[in-house]
Amino acid sequence: MHFRLMIANIALAAALQFPGWSCAYAAEVVATVTDDAGQPIKDAVVVAVPVDGTMHIPSHPHAQILDQIDKEFVPKVKAIVAGTPIIFPNHDNVRHQVYSFSPAKRFELPLYAGVPAKPVVFDKPGVVVLGCNIHDWMIGYVYVSESPWFATTGTDGTATIADIPPGAYALRVWHPQLNGGEEATRQNLSVSPGQTAAINWKLALRPEVRIRRAPAADHRGHY
Amino acid sequence: MQIDMADHNFVPYRRGFESNRHRACLIATQISCPDLGRLTGGMSIRLRPLKQRLFCRPARAYALGALLSCAASGQAFADWQIYVDSGLLHDSNLSRASRAEDVRADSAFAVTASAGQFIAPTGADGFTVSADASAEAYDRYDGLNHVAAGGTASWRHKFGLGYLAPWTALSASALHDDYRSDIRDSTYVHLLAEAGRRFSETFDASMGMILERRYAANDDPVVPGISGRVFDLAGRGVFVRAGYAATDHLLVGMRADVRRGDVVSTSKRNREIFLASSAIAEDPTFGDELYDYRLRGTTWTASAFASWALTDTMSLNLSYADQRTQAASGLDYRSRTGHLSFSYGY
Repeated sequence: MHFRLMIANIALAAALQFPGWSCAYAAEVVATVTDDAGQPIKDAVVVAVPVDGTMHIPSHPHAQILDQIDKEFVPKVKAIVAGTPIIFPNHDNVRHQVYSFSPAKRFELPLYAGVPAKPVVFDKPGVVVLGCNIHDWMIGYVYVSESPWFATTGTDGTATIADIPPGAYALRVWHPQLNGGEEATRQNLSVSPGQTAAINWKLALRPEVRIRRAPAADHRGHY
Repeated sequence: MQIDMADHNFVPYRRGFESNRHRACLIATQISCPDLGRLTGGMSIRLRPLKQRLFCRPARAYALGALLSCAASGQAFADWQIYVDSGLLHDSNLSRASRAEDVRADSAFAVTASAGQFIAPTGADGFTVSADASAEAYDRYDGLNHVAAGGTASWRHKFGLGYLAPWTALSASALHDDYRSDIRDSTYVHLLAEAGRRFSETFDASMGMILERRYAANDDPVVPGISGRVFDLAGRGVFVRAGYAATDHLLVGMRADVRRGDVVSTSKRNREIFLASSAIAEDPTFGDELYDYRLRGTTWTASAFASWALTDTMSLNLSYADQRTQAASGLDYRSRTGHLSFSYGY
């Protein structure tokens, strides 16, 4: 058993180190996420976790970028693997103060312009909700995955997890307005070598109600 | 930019018009004894001694220039803020008259605009300075048409991190109103202190205090010994407001104001209002037989609004205000105002 696990790990490591070699064996998962009315859902994070728990987590994931453009977080939803550092460049003329109170990562970037000196490392799986203390309407999400195999849906509601090793996976989906827990979306899927596996979700979402940015009738909300 | 409902609430005291021709006529003839009797409803009166009033004429050149310079010095991280609001309003009692026969209603096209800069010197503080302008054009009583220009400086402080942190704000604004007639030309100064808190993404509330002063530019007395500065007004008030985002697009809210201070009621001559007034001026805007009387009064205003966000920068707004004033000597009046507008701001 130990020997077989060791061989599997070696094969997995080799697949990650030599993409050309892995292409012949690795597969992909194409996930489609729609709402109750069949409309595609954007910004849904699809995560695949091997059933046997075998995962090769990069020891030093590359730093990712989460911009602030026109006083909004871009992208609004960013999925990363645990341990990934994120840099928060500010492209606006006004300074921002990015913070999070989420248990998965509490942090605060004091008022800054341009690119912060240090990235923020997200080392604990979970959802991190971002805000700006200057612009209350700004909201963003960092989904910190325990698995290296994940993808985020685009406007067409599809997400592709490429180069995923063959095997049995438990897949789940998360969205900021997901009605109910993420675990409730769990589906099992077997991925065969060199093949494309498809999976679908139909989610019930809560209506999104953000802090108002548009000018209001009593002319308040800007300062 | 900080333009609030208090501005709308003060509109009644700012309305009025007197043509230059009529004013010239008044000055030429001055007031005669028959005029006096006409104004007082035929009663005998005791002329009040003319007070030596210290008229503090505010500087025409507002501190706006200095404030804008101040903002420009920190513009490395300053953010431009532009705001335009235009729409229609209807007022059921423009004359703020107590008697039904004196009530005048009308509708107007109103536009408000401001351009300013926002600076965040710290993570908890925001400072905004803006140049403001507004105009109103009435359907029937075009004497009320006017333009206004001025500036606003405001500061906001948050007590903590996050959108749930309580906050306080101070705001000072000055506007010069230019009506067609000189009688209502004036400079309006408005000070606001407000504190509030957001309780969730959908609900927020605040309360505040307002001090306002209007300095009339001209004095055209029609009764010897009684001031003609009807629109020289002072008032102070408090308010509470709450807003609720029913959906991502729809924001609804309510506000309640109580204001104590000077009000202007337009009426035909009568004894009660003459005795209660501290200033009188003839006002041809609503008819030759109507006069403006400055009174002391307490005004309760209940208002509600709904705002539909078209985008992050545009909205359609509908507001309604019910204003009840208890003025001296039982000269109470009521007015209702509706406002439909399109707003653009970033």
